[in-house]
Amino acid sequence: MRQVGIVGVGHTKFGKTNGTFLDMLCEAALLAMDDAGAKTGRKNVIDQVFVGSMGSGMVNRVSGAASAVVDSLNIRPAMAETVENGPASGASAVKLGVMAIASGMCDCVLVIGGEAMREVSGWEGTDFVATMLHPTAEYKYGLTLPAFAGMFTRLCMERFGVESKDLSIVSVKNHDNACHNPVAHIQRPVVLERITNPAYINATNPIVADPLRQFDMCPVSDGAAAVLLVAKDRQDELGFGKKPFVRVAGIASATDTHVVANRENPSDLLAVRLSAEKAYKMAGMGPEDIDVAELHDAFQILEIEEGEEAGLFPRGQGHIAARNGETKVGGRLPVNTSGGLKAKGHPLGATGVSQIVELVRQLRGEAEGRQVEGAKTGLAVNFGGFGNNVVSTILTTK
Amino acid sequence: MEQMYAYKCTKCGKLHHPRYVVCQNPDCDGREFEPVPLGGKCKLLTWTRVYNLPEGYMMPWLNFGIVEFENGVRATGQIGFDEGIESGMELVATVGVVRTRRILYKESIDCEEYGFVFVKP
Amino acid sequence: MGKYDILVDEMEAKLRPPTIGLKPYEPKVIPLTTGEDMLVRTATREEAEMVIQGIKVLLDHQKDFYDIVSARIVAELLGMLRYRVQDEYLLIGAVDGEIAGIVNGRMVNEKVGMSYHTMTLKRGARVGAQLFAAKMEYHFDFMNQDEVWIVAESPNGFKRWMIEYELESRPECPHELGGVPTFVLTRALWEKHKANKNVGIRPAFEDVLEANKVVHMPETINV
Repeated sequence: MRQVGIVGVGHTKFGKTNGTFLDMLCEAALLAMDDAGAKTGRKNVIDQVFVGSMGSGMVNRVSGAASAVVDSLNIRPAMAETVENGPASGASAVKLGVMAIASGMCDCVLVIGGEAMREVSGWEGTDFVATMLHPTAEYKYGLTLPAFAGMFTRLCMERFGVESKDLSIVSVKNHDNACHNPVAHIQRPVVLERITNPAYINATNPIVADPLRQFDMCPVSDGAAAVLLVAKDRQDELGFGKKPFVRVAGIASATDTHVVANRENPSDLLAVRLSAEKAYKMAGMGPEDIDVAELHDAFQILEIEEGEEAGLFPRGQGHIAARNGETKVGGRLPVNTSGGLKAKGHPLGATGVSQIVELVRQLRGEAEGRQVEGAKTGLAVNFGGFGNNVVSTILTTK
Repeated sequence: MEQMYAYKCTKCGKLHHPRYVVCQNPDCDGREFEPVPLGGKCKLLTWTRVYNLPEGYMMPWLNFGIVEFENGVRATGQIGFDEGIESGMELVATVGVVRTRRILYKESIDCEEYGFVFVKP
Repeated sequence: MGKYDILVDEMEAKLRPPTIGLKPYEPKVIPLTTGEDMLVRTATREEAEMVIQGIKVLLDHQKDFYDIVSARIVAELLGMLRYRVQDEYLLIGAVDGEIAGIVNGRMVNEKVGMSYHTMTLKRGARVGAQLFAAKMEYHFDFMNQDEVWIVAESPNGFKRWMIEYELESRPECPHELGGVPTFVLTRALWEKHKANKNVGIRPAFEDVLEANKVVHMPETINV
């Protein structure tokens, strides 16, 4: 298969955007294009643009986002499509970009992921995100993503002995990492004792979806991220020869039951396991090759369980690894060096691309205060729905 | 009272909830189902109490749970009481209004939707 | 003499409101998720003046109703400083000498409290929720009142409180802030919810008291 890699990355500051949704996408796109040295107008070499977004139509009243971006950036007549796969829209867009180049249809693809969720109130946002649940068996009841995360966490607590404090440990780590990431939404350390002390936990860290507390889940953020993909065999010719080529060694997705209750074991994340297995197989690698990972911690329990399902830790041992500091920068296998969704923020469609941007920064050695020494291969897991459509990606400089 | 149903594949007999288009048995390709009343005794597999409810719910919290019925069918629904909720407990599934959906036409219409509300036996 | 102190002649004495006697609010420390300690205490007259000056920049800030809220707080605090409102109080939350949020209200009589406003200046650390609880604590646990009347300009915070404290709707009740539909926190509801809502460490740590002995407004208000 044709080798596909990343030669440019861009990332807006996550948090609250001042501009429009489309401006935000364009900002990320231009950062990635400038990083790679890609030109606009007559000198444009981008064949295709994919925009990953879950709610541009529903929340921002913008449809045809990719077509609008191509026009704004003056890279017509590049092909353009907007991709929706819930919170995994970003990685799905990257996957389609890789497929487009690998197939030979394209040589250079710009992928942007973005979401402007803070245009609506928290209640409306919660409702909007919940629309990815099963309409009659779940959504109708007032169930939300935090509700499923709460029920899932309780199962993991009973099955593996995960404790509330373990979730806080993951949260504190990710906040620490975000302090070194200039594009993170919340660049502020959190003190473990303050969010766990029974004397005041209900005030500093109130329960949101029992047993989940506020610091066990991500905030609501706006943001966009972009990557420029090229074919290895055309990298020099297209003018990107000077940029390091971070190869997409493996990328795959898998689906699971839409109705969470109907999973054989509702505390398993089968789509994470299967997508990771496929990505490892495509890369000719295994979990032992991974130096750094970005795992979709919309809820802190997911960082623990995804790590296990992707083979990074033995099943049932993820929380022990977190307790032992193995997932910190400097630990055996650093996870969510970007700050994760918890502290970097989780603008749904942006997240999958943002995770890949972080891995590229790590593999290029540009991650500064959060750099994992000698990182050569990284894994990203982007989780859609409540785990019913997951994309796993392996990047490498090997 | 409204009735909730499981859907039985007419080809292999597998029970489903909710309704599917194709039988979920990997070795069956049935596309026809007959509704079988679903309710009564069930066991609570996991639960949560949610404090940040979506737009349209004006209460401080709601309890939700996933149950397994005696026939093996599972369902998600609201839990209709606050005290003493525990994984593994025996419950009874009743049917109640789980959402009032406001449809905005020229005048708004409130449309009640029914679903499972699990209660103590 | 402060800016608003004037000679109290016979006429001025007649214009000033009576008082039921405000009891002191014992300062407390609330640990914030950031690891910082927030001190909640009563503001001095000088600090109220400072708040008036500090929040004037918000008068044109339409979003989340900061314009109306800031305009009304300015008016209420002027009323307090110039003795034109009965039994008004101002509590501040401060972190390392910087004001993180303010809450005010007043006593209508021995039994009824009138909640005015809650304004967060440091967002994302649950400051507003904590200060709102502290103000209710003042009405119920220090002033021993039966109920507090509540309205709000901004749907966001209010909706949260209305739902979280299950406030009683009493639309016939004329709240001072424009007579918009009033909600009431009764003693029964307070007792039900206070364990989860109202926290703080007393007596306040000496070093935190010291760090917030002199307070200032944030240099820029980013809300």
